[in-house]
Amino acid sequence: MKIIKKTINQTILSSAISLLLTASNLYAADHEAKDTQKAHEGVNAHKLFEENCASCHGSDHGGFIAPALNAATLKGRSPTALRTIIMTGSFDTLMPPFYGKLSDTEIRALVQHLQTTPKLPNPAWTINDMKASLKIYADESKLPTKPTYQLGSLDDLIGVAARGKYGRGEGSKAVFINSKTHQKIGEIKTGTAAHIIDYNPVNQRWAYIKTDTAEIFKVDLYTMQAVRSIKTGYNGPGLGVSRDGKYIMAGSFVPHNAVILDANTLEPLKTFELEGVDPDGKMVSSDSGMIIGTPFADIFAIALENAGQVWVVDLKGDFPVTKITDVGRHLHDAFLTHKGRKLMIAAYDDSKVTAIDLQERKIIKKLDAGCVPHLGGGAAVKVDGRTLGFGTNFGSCDKTVVSVWDLDKMEVVKQIPVLGGTESPAAHANAPYVAVDIISKDRRARAVQLIDKKTLEVVKTLDVGGHAYFPEYSADGKFLYISAGYSGDEVVVYDSVSLKKVASIPMESPAGIFSHGRVKYMTRGLLPDEMVK
Amino acid sequence: MKATIFFPLVLVALSVSGSLQAANLFAGQDRAANVCAQCHGIHKPAAGAPFPSLAGRDAAYLKEALKQYRSKKRVSEIMNAIAGSLRDNDIDDLVAYYSKLKP
Ligand code: HEC
Ligand code: HEC
Repeated sequence: MKIIKKTINQTILSSAISLLLTASNLYAADHEAKDTQKAHEGVNAHKLFEENCASCHGSDHGGFIAPALNAATLKGRSPTALRTIIMTGSFDTLMPPFYGKLSDTEIRALVQHLQTTPKLPNPAWTINDMKASLKIYADESKLPTKPTYQLGSLDDLIGVAARGKYGRGEGSKAVFINSKTHQKIGEIKTGTAAHIIDYNPVNQRWAYIKTDTAEIFKVDLYTMQAVRSIKTGYNGPGLGVSRDGKYIMAGSFVPHNAVILDANTLEPLKTFELEGVDPDGKMVSSDSGMIIGTPFADIFAIALENAGQVWVVDLKGDFPVTKITDVGRHLHDAFLTHKGRKLMIAAYDDSKVTAIDLQERKIIKKLDAGCVPHLGGGAAVKVDGRTLGFGTNFGSCDKTVVSVWDLDKMEVVKQIPVLGGTESPAAHANAPYVAVDIISKDRRARAVQLIDKKTLEVVKTLDVGGHAYFPEYSADGKFLYISAGYSGDEVVVYDSVSLKKVASIPMESPAGIFSHGRVKYMTRGLLPDEMVK
Repeated sequence: MKATIFFPLVLVALSVSGSLQAANLFAGQDRAANVCAQCHGIHKPAAGAPFPSLAGRDAAYLKEALKQYRSKKRVSEIMNAIAGSLRDNDIDDLVAYYSKLKP
């Protein structure tokens, strides 16, 4: 999911809104600005915000997957226009319509609250808060020893984070699909929107789901139910599982910490305060970026977004940390190569991807990467003796490209022009094309483009519909799954060679798609043996 | 930078002007996806959302409802604003699309 803490793009929003405003003068009266105060008495706007808005906009009002809403960011904005956005939502974005969900008085109170509340200090969420939040839903000793449904291999499961329009409530779940028949097998309600799904590489029955509000669910795939959950913070997408399947590490934006959990019981073992000296020499407290377990060693790597550091945590003793500094400005996500020894990590503000050697624990090189690189889990393919990595990026440049790197030589091979900004690539050893999702804020967002692995040219554009993103191949590489998100409300499945549409699976606001096959191929596009020592 | 030329759907939508008689399903689909789905969804509205479902509904009913919203005979703050900018053929396209859709 594209994290937009800092960038607010108002063009589409304001045009959609002004359309409404000119269509009717019902909204035009700005008199409400004056006599607001008394009308809102009795409305607890803080509570309304926490319960309806915070999972996307950040409970500190600092933004998360939606822009920051506070006195500074909304200064001088017309309360009427803000009211209209809240009522109707913002078309072609994740902002849902609250008309009929909240009363007019409540919406007015919210606008006033947002325009007068500063960004809040980072609230605490300690190891004791985590411990107290642990919930147990099922007696694991009584679970059956094999799946309760027919499926050749669990790798054929595909999990989809169905966000639900409102990012919470009945619509929010993780949906698991048989990627051979494209039939739904089960779904797990997650309360707030599921954001990341990860799988235990050792015991195939366990999956882990992280929500927008940083709850982690341990899921039994055999019976398709959640068995435990724990709240690790207020928000933040970071989640990794260690190669031995014993540990999980999760990191938050709010508060600025990370935690190692026992993957079996979800009990928190150790927390880490994320802070350090950034590449410009300033000491900063930092959001957690990506967290990754690697088949290379018993370690986690975690990115400190604002501090520009990658920490390598050894999974032994008291979990000692090695800090790699000066990796880049505003780090985000990453992928692995060379049997998991090398880490390619995106630095938004430098428009570079930094290659790190996890054995030497130092930087190998910084590679050009288009503007605002977002690797979205990454993709790497072997062609004609070379291992090529593919880098998506969502900044708006004049020239939008997908970068291709030779991962052995660590150099740029080509920058392939594509339709717009991109967020996530999909590749599979058995599929001829690398798929990239176009996410530019207009009709291009409907598109996914296919790059031929050999010629490195775009050979086809799919008009998927909705806001098409998070392409993912099935474990056998035969099918390409794509979320038609926002109001598209379906996952569309294509044959990965003919690129013909073969199925559509209805779902409310689908986003990330995660094949169980990922446990085998480390980085999407590589063969399973790539990760064997 | 506009990339609309890459999508045949848009060209279809743009070429539909007031003179066309028959309803255009693609134009209807386009507008439904871009505007109406925000509240009504395509096949159904979001779980727990307070909006009526439109897919598979009687065409005559939908058409009448939209015309009434447009003329403000039927009052709804939101729908009066939205229907206010619809032309007759937009309504025909939308109604043709939604009424033929499986809920
Ligand atoms: C499912 C996620 C989600 C939820 C829940 C959500 N929003 Fe939003 N909101 C967004 C996104 C995404 C945007 C950016 C829209 C755009 O770029 O046009 C946004 C934009 C806005 C804006 C416009 C900001 C600006 O600077 O122009 C306001 C105001 C707003 N939301 C208020 C709210 C309120 C109030 C609530 C709760 C009642 C809420 N939102 C709940 C996702 C959400
Ligand atoms: C911002 C939310 C919103 C959007 C966008 C929206 N609607 Fe509505 N719609 C509503 C609400 C709310 C109602 C119920 C109004 C009422 O009480 O009469 C409604 C009612 C309707 C009805 C009447 C249904 C019935 O059962 O009587 C029709 C038809 C309709 N809308 C069509 C559309 C079409 C076509 C579009 C796109 C051009 C659209 N709407 C866009 C919110 C919306």
